[in-house]
Amino acid sequence: MTTTTTAAPETTTTEPLLQVTGFTKQFGEVLANSNVSFDVRPGEVHALIGENGAGKSTLLKLVYGMYKPDAGELRVAGEQVAVGSPTQARALGIGMVFQDLRLVPAFTVTENYALALATSGVTLRQGELRRRIAEASESYGLAVDPTALVRHLSIGERQRTEILKVLMSGARIVILDEPTSVLAPTEVEALFAMVNGLREQGLGIVIVTHKLAEVRAIADRVTVLRGGRVVLAGADPKPMTDAELIEAMVGQTVAALPAERPTVVSDAPPALELIGVSALGDRGVTALRDVTLTVNPGEIVGVAGVAGSGQRELCEVAVGARHPSEGTVRVSGRELGRGGPTAGIAAGAVDVPEDPVNDAVVPTLTVLEHMALGHLKAFARRIGLDWRRIGRHTMDINEKVQLRMAPAHRRVADLSGGNIQRVMLSRALGREANLVVAAYPSRGLDIATTRRTQELLLARRAEGAGLLVVSEDLDELMAVADRIAVFCAGRLTGIVPAATTNRQELGALMTATEATATDSTTEAPAGEATMEKAQS
Amino acid sequence: MSNLAVDVLAGAVGGGTAIMYAGLGETISERAGVINLGTEGSMLGGALAAYAATATSGSPWVGALAGIGAGAALAAVHAVLVIARKANQFASGLTVMFFALGLTSLFGASYVGRTIHSLNPWKVPGLAAIPWLGPILFDHDPLTYLSYFVAPAVWWVLYRSRVGLLVRTAGEHSEVLLVHGYSTSLVRYVSVIAGGGLCGLGGAQLSIAYSNAWFENMTVGRGFIAVALVIFATWNPLRVMAGSYLFGAALALSPALQARGYGINQFALDAIPFVVTILVLAILGKRTLLAAPDELRRVFETRTT
Amino acid sequence: MTDTTIPAQFSPDNAGTPAPAAVTTTPAATAAPASESRLADVGRGVARWAAALAGAIAIFTLLLLVKGANPADVYSHVWTSTFTNSPSIQQIFVKAAPLLLGALAVVVPARAGLVNVGGEGQIVIGAVAAGGIGISLGDKLGGGLVMILMAVAAMLAGAAWAGLAAVLRLTVGINEAVSTLLMNYIALDVLLYLIYSPWKDPHGTGQPTTAELADTAKLPYLGTTSIHIGFVFALVATAVVWALLRYTTWGFRLRVIGGNPEAARRAGLPVAMLLLSAMLVGGALAGLGGMVHYAGVEYKLRTGITTNFGYIAFLASWLARHNPVSVVLAALALAAITVAGDSLQLDSGLPAATVNILMGLVLIAVLGWTARKKGGAAR
Repeated sequence: MTTTTTAAPETTTTEPLLQVTGFTKQFGEVLANSNVSFDVRPGEVHALIGENGAGKSTLLKLVYGMYKPDAGELRVAGEQVAVGSPTQARALGIGMVFQDLRLVPAFTVTENYALALATSGVTLRQGELRRRIAEASESYGLAVDPTALVRHLSIGERQRTEILKVLMSGARIVILDEPTSVLAPTEVEALFAMVNGLREQGLGIVIVTHKLAEVRAIADRVTVLRGGRVVLAGADPKPMTDAELIEAMVGQTVAALPAERPTVVSDAPPALELIGVSALGDRGVTALRDVTLTVNPGEIVGVAGVAGSGQRELCEVAVGARHPSEGTVRVSGRELGRGGPTAGIAAGAVDVPEDPVNDAVVPTLTVLEHMALGHLKAFARRIGLDWRRIGRHTMDINEKVQLRMAPAHRRVADLSGGNIQRVMLSRALGREANLVVAAYPSRGLDIATTRRTQELLLARRAEGAGLLVVSEDLDELMAVADRIAVFCAGRLTGIVPAATTNRQELGALMTATEATATDSTTEAPAGEATMEKAQS
Repeated sequence: MSNLAVDVLAGAVGGGTAIMYAGLGETISERAGVINLGTEGSMLGGALAAYAATATSGSPWVGALAGIGAGAALAAVHAVLVIARKANQFASGLTVMFFALGLTSLFGASYVGRTIHSLNPWKVPGLAAIPWLGPILFDHDPLTYLSYFVAPAVWWVLYRSRVGLLVRTAGEHSEVLLVHGYSTSLVRYVSVIAGGGLCGLGGAQLSIAYSNAWFENMTVGRGFIAVALVIFATWNPLRVMAGSYLFGAALALSPALQARGYGINQFALDAIPFVVTILVLAILGKRTLLAAPDELRRVFETRTT
Repeated sequence: MTDTTIPAQFSPDNAGTPAPAAVTTTPAATAAPASESRLADVGRGVARWAAALAGAIAIFTLLLLVKGANPADVYSHVWTSTFTNSPSIQQIFVKAAPLLLGALAVVVPARAGLVNVGGEGQIVIGAVAAGGIGISLGDKLGGGLVMILMAVAAMLAGAAWAGLAAVLRLTVGINEAVSTLLMNYIALDVLLYLIYSPWKDPHGTGQPTTAELADTAKLPYLGTTSIHIGFVFALVATAVVWALLRYTTWGFRLRVIGGNPEAARRAGLPVAMLLLSAMLVGGALAGLGGMVHYAGVEYKLRTGITTNFGYIAFLASWLARHNPVSVVLAALALAAITVAGDSLQLDSGLPAATVNILMGLVLIAVLGWTARKKGGAAR
């Protein structure tokens, strides 16, 4: 890899590229960061970990100039600076790749870059920009097509585009916020290869993640945040175990899930049957192709796949929120047909939606009112609804579920992401159901609550429900599920027993079909994975 | 023997110009994510301002400038309400329209029936003599000729200039603007106010060039047609141009038929532009909503309060 | 496997929210805050409103000055003409009747998240339907029966007019704000067509109108006042709407859709039917408003019969933030301004439409500066 724009590599100064000393930031009653110190040296990868709510994103936003610290100082290449805005941060060489990549889907790659790279003049000069992108793409070894419409790119490709953009802006310090949560194992390897390349060029890389294995694989040092404070500063992660890192993040040991689980025998009909199901996505593109899948009562089927492989549509089809264009969907033996969500609810399906804020939260309604939704007829009086009964019902659920849901009169729209998730989980897991479809159930939750959620899923399983659980965390799937169904580009590429599978096998299945656009930096996908559709 | 088709088409161009200006203005505004139902008001305000300024100063070009200013000023009220004060876009637009209705009634009372030095049609030498195309395209007032260039100019600004990129980003994904250090509010203010200026110019064309008159509520729904037009032109300035001529034709049908003594009820003809608008929107169906800038789609799907 | 104690957590992405507490049961109404802060809230609200109104009047005064009128004169004339004599005050109630019904026609769809700007057209169509019944049956059947038939016809017509917009939205995705607006103009053309040819009064002079409604079919007055019972209709309708929205499951369902239609759909609500029902109810109310105006005041269909009632009613609903109870006050307030406009024309020679300026200013002030912050930008 030849470099054209960066400084000479092999600089062995130990002067940090970025040094944070004593950052403190308070929001109202909440102390998000307290006396946090942190630094990044040239040619190193420094991992920043902590569970949801520990203060990682606040720290990043302070460094990137989106907030101002209440106290503390920041030095870039030895000089003290005050970063007032992201533009200033970029000028100082700090580049950030957000988790929700800040790209406009409707524009081409070039137009997105035009926004970021301040070119002078009135006209856009797209031709010149395209040339510059092609050059940079070559020199950094990151394949990016300047004319592609971002909407058509896969998540991995979008991430690459974003990283190249950051590099072209002249970043010496690259911050990656949860970069691997949406990638398949092979794409993760490609990302790490890229990161290694940048490290060799003398850049400093900060990687925020909660995936402990990755921390050991890629990071030179790790810093752990907990409750806004640094509890472990700049340690070498390689000799540390998962348990030690978790303990640092949580402050207690968190019990692992039971390894043994009862086999559930039931003569109830299958919780979910998908037979030859194809479905279109929101934009009219085929999202599911000829999927045949069964979830039996008393089992948990995990769903793995690169983001956008059809998981969203799968969950919607399973509960009747989306009509398949072909095939049959049966919940607990009852065919859903064109019945819509009503049929799904009547058949005993509940769901934890992938995008609760857009799909399940009603802005002006309280927690209590949300608990009533979906079962209005059950609570109906002659005129109106029996709110007293709904209130008692909610209390019962909360006691049973123990997820510390917000008070009943709070408006759900005012709650944080994690608290909204607790409401959704309580609602779905707090009552009996034949089929539980949970999409990313641990999103936004701290480790302890995540563990509790997983216990609830297992409890439902023991009671005879069938569960379909989508997660981007392969470790979670392997721990929770009985079988794991892997999707790629809308096709079911394999179903494997969770107890005996591993990341390599799952990763191969996740990328088994060449359906997406060119992705030339990854190696050819492993050919050993069997591609026959699993019957169950 | 004059040709009905030529008359209608010529009327389509002349009469459609006002709608086109309004439509182009609304396109800019909606591309930035703000729908302005006050377009009708901006047109009306522009029409009166242009008429009054022409009457006072004697120059219709001064009038045209006044029209732009009035349209922009009214749109600015909507912009402040919606951007700074976060009011509901539909309610704000209609309020401004109503406000403009009152303003123009009050200040326009003394101009009803007054004649001015208007912008008369001017035949382009040579080109106006071409059979068919001549009278249709080259025998109009100067503001219509200007509009031939304004539409492609708006297209160029939106798609080939830096400013246009910012406007479109504000309408698709405004957080990206924030991250790159631009002010979404500023971009939207400029878009809405510039859009209002164009609407005002449309109103000006209506009063000082096309109708050569001022009377209360003289725009009669053209502004709302322009809003609908932008939707089914999928926010593309060139399609807006074509669509506005379509409506111009619908509007020109009535006088053309009447002049030839066809006894079709005038009110049935008056309703045609509105019915045609609804029909076209119905035919295009849900595809139009998919083509909308993302933030604008949220306005259409978002609720009151 | 015992659970270890869970350490306290906070959520920095919604900074300021303390750790979730245990659930307490409270009924559906929001937990009653301490009465003092409630009073302070009300006080602040009133102050904001007063400031908004003061601002609107100030700017209106300025415009009067620009026009060359004497504001002091104008205001004193308007005050004496409008508020100090009984006939004018009664006129306020008379005008408020169709305004209130038209405003309810915005309130109900708004609950479901629909923007019904078609009040004007729905009122006109209601008046047309009532007129049709009145012309054909007015002197043939008993007065009471004709009145009932007129009301029913008007409500059906208004409902159909609004329902058409709802159907367009549900089938081909045309936003109802756009479609109802366009249909206003179509309704006007229908009215004009009818009074210029088929329904034209052969004995009339001047501007074409329909024949006058039979005396027995005209809405009777309340006691010795000149307020017809249409006002009572409007109040009854308000009470019914309020009860429906607050106490029935239908009302709750509309509220869910208005908040998040996708969430409503996934909860199994029949969204399309509910949206349609909201528009039908709204249209029916507006149609009734048209009938009330025709049979209570005009007695004939003529051009300009509705004088922007529909748009003023839209403004009234927004003034009242779509609250069925406050909308009564808003309708009365705007009706008062309309009556003032008439006296404006008589006394000061300014066009009646001048009051639209004041209405617009009041709405601008209210929309912009009296909103309760509901957490996040309204679009």
